[in-house]
Amino acid sequence: MERMTGTDFNEWLRGRSDERLRALVATRPELVTPVPAHIDGLAARACSPSAIGRALDRLDRFSLAVLETLALRPGPADREALLSLLRRAVPGDLGDAALGSALDAALDVLTTRALVYGTDDALLPAPGVAEALEPPAALGPPAAEVFRHHSPERLDVLLRDIDPAYEGGGRTDDGRPARERLAALLAEPATVARLVGEVSPQARTALNELVWGPASGRLPNARREVDAANAQSPIEQLLARGLLGATGEETVALPREVALVLRDGRVHRDLSPGPPALEGSVRDQDLADRTAAGQAFTFVRTVEELCELWSVDPPGVLRAGGLAIRDLRRTAQLLDLPEWAAGLVVEVAHAAGLVAAGEGEWLPTGAYDGWRIKATEDRWAVLADAWAAMERAPGLIGERDDRDRPLNALHPDLRRPGAAQTRRRTLAVLEPAPPGLAPTPESVLARLAWEQPRRRPALRDRLVRFALREAEHIGVTGLGVPSSHGRAVARGDGTAAGLLGPLLPEPVDHVLLQADLTAVAPGPLTTDLGRRLALMADVESKGGATVYRFSEQSVRRALDAGHSADDLLTVLERHSATPVPQPLSYLVTDVARRHGRIRVGTASAYIRCDDPALLDEVLADKRAHLLRLRRLAPTVLASKTSRAALVDSLRAMGYAPVAESLEGDVVVARADARRTEGQLAARVTANTAPDPEVVAAAVRAMRAGDSRRRPVEAPEGQVPRSPATATISALQEAIRQGSRVWIGYLDSQGHATSRILEPARMEGGYLTAYDETRATVHRFALHRITGIAEIGR
Amino acid sequence: MSDGPLIVQSDKTLLLEVDHPRADECRKAIAPFAELERAPEHVHTYRVTPLALWNARAAGHDAEQVVDALIGFSRYPVPHALLVDVAETMARYGRLRLEKHPVHGLVLTSTDRAVLEEVLRSKKIQPLVGERFGADIVAVHPSERGNIKQTLLKLGWPAEDMAGYVDGEHHPIDLREDGWSLRPYQKEAADAFWHGGSGVVVLPCGAGKTIVGAAAMAHARATTLILVTNTVSAHQWKQELIRRTSLTEDEIGEYTGTKKEIRPVTIATYQVMTTRRQGTYRHLELFDARDWGLVVYDEVHLLPAPIFRMTADLQARRRIGLTATLVREDGREGDVFSLIGPKRYDTPWKEMENQGYIAPAECVEVRVTLSDDERLAYAMAESDERYRFCSTTPAKTRVTEALVRRHANEQVLVIGQYIDQLDELGEHLNAPVIKGETKVKERERLFQAFRDKEIRVLVVSKVANFSIDLPEAAVAIQVSGTFGSRQEEAQRLGRVLRPKADGGGARFYSVVSRDTVDQEFAAHRQRFLAEQGYAYHIIDADDVGEEDPAR
Repeated sequence: MERMTGTDFNEWLRGRSDERLRALVATRPELVTPVPAHIDGLAARACSPSAIGRALDRLDRFSLAVLETLALRPGPADREALLSLLRRAVPGDLGDAALGSALDAALDVLTTRALVYGTDDALLPAPGVAEALEPPAALGPPAAEVFRHHSPERLDVLLRDIDPAYEGGGRTDDGRPARERLAALLAEPATVARLVGEVSPQARTALNELVWGPASGRLPNARREVDAANAQSPIEQLLARGLLGATGEETVALPREVALVLRDGRVHRDLSPGPPALEGSVRDQDLADRTAAGQAFTFVRTVEELCELWSVDPPGVLRAGGLAIRDLRRTAQLLDLPEWAAGLVVEVAHAAGLVAAGEGEWLPTGAYDGWRIKATEDRWAVLADAWAAMERAPGLIGERDDRDRPLNALHPDLRRPGAAQTRRRTLAVLEPAPPGLAPTPESVLARLAWEQPRRRPALRDRLVRFALREAEHIGVTGLGVPSSHGRAVARGDGTAAGLLGPLLPEPVDHVLLQADLTAVAPGPLTTDLGRRLALMADVESKGGATVYRFSEQSVRRALDAGHSADDLLTVLERHSATPVPQPLSYLVTDVARRHGRIRVGTASAYIRCDDPALLDEVLADKRAHLLRLRRLAPTVLASKTSRAALVDSLRAMGYAPVAESLEGDVVVARADARRTEGQLAARVTANTAPDPEVVAAAVRAMRAGDSRRRPVEAPEGQVPRSPATATISALQEAIRQGSRVWIGYLDSQGHATSRILEPARMEGGYLTAYDETRATVHRFALHRITGIAEIGR
Repeated sequence: MSDGPLIVQSDKTLLLEVDHPRADECRKAIAPFAELERAPEHVHTYRVTPLALWNARAAGHDAEQVVDALIGFSRYPVPHALLVDVAETMARYGRLRLEKHPVHGLVLTSTDRAVLEEVLRSKKIQPLVGERFGADIVAVHPSERGNIKQTLLKLGWPAEDMAGYVDGEHHPIDLREDGWSLRPYQKEAADAFWHGGSGVVVLPCGAGKTIVGAAAMAHARATTLILVTNTVSAHQWKQELIRRTSLTEDEIGEYTGTKKEIRPVTIATYQVMTTRRQGTYRHLELFDARDWGLVVYDEVHLLPAPIFRMTADLQARRRIGLTATLVREDGREGDVFSLIGPKRYDTPWKEMENQGYIAPAECVEVRVTLSDDERLAYAMAESDERYRFCSTTPAKTRVTEALVRRHANEQVLVIGQYIDQLDELGEHLNAPVIKGETKVKERERLFQAFRDKEIRVLVVSKVANFSIDLPEAAVAIQVSGTFGSRQEEAQRLGRVLRPKADGGGARFYSVVSRDTVDQEFAAHRQRFLAEQGYAYHIIDADDVGEEDPAR
């Protein structure tokens, strides 16, 4: 593609300070992957359509409007010209100073990102920007474009009707081709005003609808032959005067020049230099914090409950992955939640690495055991961070995909690119909301639309609504108001747990015992007491408090677990503010009285014989010691040996036993509380901006390439070998001091090479550094660095 | 963290700490929209049900008040889902209305067309409605007013009944407060009923429900039909009305097995109303015999099914239900609420006791042990015979005798289920027995003798479960009952709750066989009272001889 201004742009870019270049690379990191060899390479990449597209996507509505305004001007523009154009587009009486500073801020953004270049008195859009913006500001194509495919005969008819000076036959007075003449005419405000004055009011209404876009519409038989005299419908009247032109068989468009005239010199309308304010009802921030904290507490407990449920009774993993709808429903029922909320709990637990697929079942992971013993606020922070970074859309669970298959929880198909980003951006909008404001979803959407008007990921509106609903359920917001700990999650500064802690109810170490055999714990119990009570009573109701009910079965359960009646009563007395009610102590002692009167043991097999004397004989036999026989009754022996082994042994001892069919077998309960070592769910790192060191290294590399700096020769000889730990600490030191090092490196072919580096960053087993011997930025595998030595500057 | 008295649970129960300084204030705030479920000594449990929320709406409370009360008194943050649910549930009330249309008569109208479409598509609603006059209005057969309200309630779209009540035939009735006066709670209950139009008043036994009925009649000042459980009770109502109101004996009719009088105020028994001859309920026409302005249902928890059906047709008349225990083992509490009306007044038993309106009572469960032979026989008994077998063990007779001896100076009632057991007890205790076959005259004579303290011990079967006014009975001994009936237990305790002349307390013994179904049933029976705060002491039969067996 031809680039007339290409060299100007390259020179401008080359003239930028290193600091400005670093800012450019930091805001458009895709320009340095891989790092271009020189500034010209950087310029070429910065002007490529895809790079410009990505940069435009990151612009807010006002900056984009400034760029569009600039791009629509035929030549370079100065700041004042832009200001006067924008002044008309901004409604209300915003002062010149305020608008000016907004403009300066926008221009700073645009020049930093190399979308605009030049000086303040001659600003130009970067090469390629105007094309990438097409169509700008919802305008139609230029007249030259609209009428390009009109035949000379059509143009002849058109010009006859609208140009008084036209002589016919395709010739114009100034000798220009008819199409150019037409475009010039349509750019004249006086001509357009005259033509608009000629058409009917209905036609004018139709025209007004197209002015602010969309600038085209559908019309059957758009290329019809009409002239001013025989035009019937309002649209035909417009077509006959060139106010509309056919751009296809069935489409018509408003030429850009006409729209600009009709827009009264404005490019935009209702333009706002700042983002729209969040709207919504205002509540007490403290109340919202408390409500959110209560919800956070509930959410943490629900996740724990889920893991405990799945410990004992794990649902299966579907063949295609994911959790069956039936299992989700059952889980929702057990957790007493609506299905969407149960889906969220499951997904967040998975994202936080607390549950994973193992052995064909969904099981809690080893990480769960570590998570469980943390303080509630820390547990919540883990869940909230996992949620914020989750690249999945739990809100879609239960819907159907394009192929009409149900979308299951934990299924890979629930991944939605942009889900995490949309959630983060939603949180970023909520974070600075004024205290107590509960922003409506609509105002959050409006804010997001202002911040990135060109970027509308699929489902964005729905994902934002999901995020708001989920935030409320997790306790990031309370009563719709971003809570203080929720704002901390949005900031990602690790202060969430500290802010949440004081809001949570403090554990209590006493219960209220009542004569109707209930106990009320007026808050979360200390772990020890909670476990003891859960053993001896059944939970009847949960929430801020817990209601327990004692029954014969529950007391028996505690006795079965090895506690004595005295133990139980002592615990109750110690933790009750009031004396233990008589019916309760009676219940405990009464159950204990009967407990254990019937004894049950395990035996693998038994020996039965009507003749006690024969059994005496068996017991007396020395060979029977290994069988571990025990006499239960005169005619019955029990054994720990299996039936088959017992039969064999007795035969070996000379008896003739017969095996009996088994009845009342001991049922061995399967082991409970299972765990898996499943993979941690992939996490999207929150911070996608590149490291400053990498940016600096990239700029240094490009400058080097630009100044035709020759690659430096590495010193002769081999780098002395050094142990890995010494290598890593030396590299860390070099990064800290910004100094150069000399290393030995095995390249990908296994050849020993010698390099001089400016290390920038070390991460995940790799070193990113500027390689002076190759004059480029490179990533080096740490394990292939054979040795390291200092080198003088 | 605030320090409110209320803890809101995620299962929509509310726990109120009664010793909290703000507990009273909180109770008043939540009472309109939450049902009192349990009232033991420290923490009372209320439940927020859709029905309670709709009743609150009907009484003019809105969702915001409910949410404010919950948030304002709650110690911990209120679950958001619960608040949303409260708002959504309350918003369902009143989308549909039953109105009296000047042209079309009784109609169902809607402010939300989608809701009307939804309910009209229901198969259960279709037979109850008539012609559709417009998009938002459909005719309802006047006789189906009760049914359609009941069905709509089940569908979750309760209709606001704006059709009003007929005034009925006017008849002057006034309370005659000479030497006595309406207690504050009785006045509150009667007023609450009158403002609500129709409904149920729940008061403990002995708290003077008859007087609430009389006060309601004085509000209505119209002919009244009173439905009671049995003839003895009918006589008591009549005497009480003559004593408390301006009504004279001539104005009150009895409609019982023996008498069929229809007067401005008529007292009928459930039994006669549900007597069938040749497959038809011959006496149900009593409902239409006069233009009744008020129907009083005594002991509404016993309301039999045919009366339910008739009541559905009486929706245009004012109705008041009176009961001590709105627990029905058949689970038809919902029908009582939708046909008679919502609960208009309720108060915990212990509260009444604290204020001195009912006698303080102590409940004691006495456990007897079956002999080894009995245990063997019990283990081999058929399952449907087991309860009878263990609850009529001779050991109980011995304990009962010991208890009667212990309370030698007090009026004692012995209550049981099985006639042969009662006969045996009567013989041993040398006391008269009142059972189903005892003539009404004889019953009344014995009750009067008991009141006059000529007889000290009376053995009664379940005929005396309800509505028998025996103010001086201070001790009741229950030897057997109708399986696990909670309301029977409460009613029987109620027999001894009338305040005593000497201000003394009452004793309620329940004699139970250890380690049998009797004990299981007893636990279930006691649940209602335990939830009302009556703590049962449990003692062994061997300890009965001691000075104070309850300690």
